[in-house]
Amino acid sequence: MTTRTATADPHTGHVTAHGQSAMPTALLGMLLFIASEVMFFGGLFATYFNARASAAGEWGPPAGAHELDIVLAGVLTAVLIASSFTMQFGVWAIRRGNIGQLRLWTGITLILGVAFLLGQLYDYSTLGFGLADGVFGTTFYTLTGFHGAHVFGGTVGLTILLARAMRGQFSARNHVAVEAVSMYWHFVDVVWIAVFSTIYLLR
Amino acid sequence: MAISDQAIGFIILGAGIVVVLGLVFGIASRGGGTAGRPRPPRGVHLPGPSMLPVVFSLGAFLLGAGLAFRSDAQLANPFLAIPGLIVLVAGIIAWVRAAGREWRETEAGPHDDVAAH
Repeated sequence: MTTRTATADPHTGHVTAHGQSAMPTALLGMLLFIASEVMFFGGLFATYFNARASAAGEWGPPAGAHELDIVLAGVLTAVLIASSFTMQFGVWAIRRGNIGQLRLWTGITLILGVAFLLGQLYDYSTLGFGLADGVFGTTFYTLTGFHGAHVFGGTVGLTILLARAMRGQFSARNHVAVEAVSMYWHFVDVVWIAVFSTIYLLR
Repeated sequence: MAISDQAIGFIILGAGIVVVLGLVFGIASRGGGTAGRPRPPRGVHLPGPSMLPVVFSLGAFLLGAGLAFRSDAQLANPFLAIPGLIVLVAGIIAWVRAAGREWRETEAGPHDDVAAH
């Protein structure tokens, strides 16, 4: 005869059999997704470095175009880093069961994410070179564009989180979606720091 | 100061992002509160085989090809981008509907508690 035991995770309320501490499926799925995304961005960074190494001494925006706006990019970096903090404040709030603060911090994070996207579009509109303007143009827009697409994906997730939080669907025991979106948002933030450092700082 | 075509394109893209997020918020806000929210039954549930991911990828491929293989005067090649966009949107709608149907069938279907352990 076997006996069954079950325990509940204090953060997510996820019940596991046999007393083992298991990660909720949604979080495991998000971790695996992020792992695949690391490989994806790894390929893009490898392309960028390879192209840059092959174009010794002639790397940068094409002749006649504006130089990259490092001040604007720095401000956008600060915005995205700040949004990671606000996201985490939201996670800590719902772990305490404070859904009001979750709504507040998720809303602020969403605003910061959208501000980043609009800032990036403004940056694109002032650069004066496009995707087809040389190897630099192609790798620049591919790397920053794919990152922007990921930020947009994150804002969609944040919007859904905010809508669900407004309907009171999260609690201290049941908020695995908040944890999953927060993981993704931190990942997107870290990738941007790598993109910013690579394109704007390592000139 | 004249606004360039490129800048207008980015303004439209920015407005599109805000509109899409508004739509997502509207869709996610529909329905009842916590009490009526369905919960997955116990056990392991795997989705059935589906062609929809392939359809979605085909649409994305055609759209991407339309954006890449174009003349300088065009935003995209209409013979590739328009069919691609149609297939992509149709694929997304069909996939979301299939996922909803699968969810309802999983809730209503028979469940073996042994599978949960």
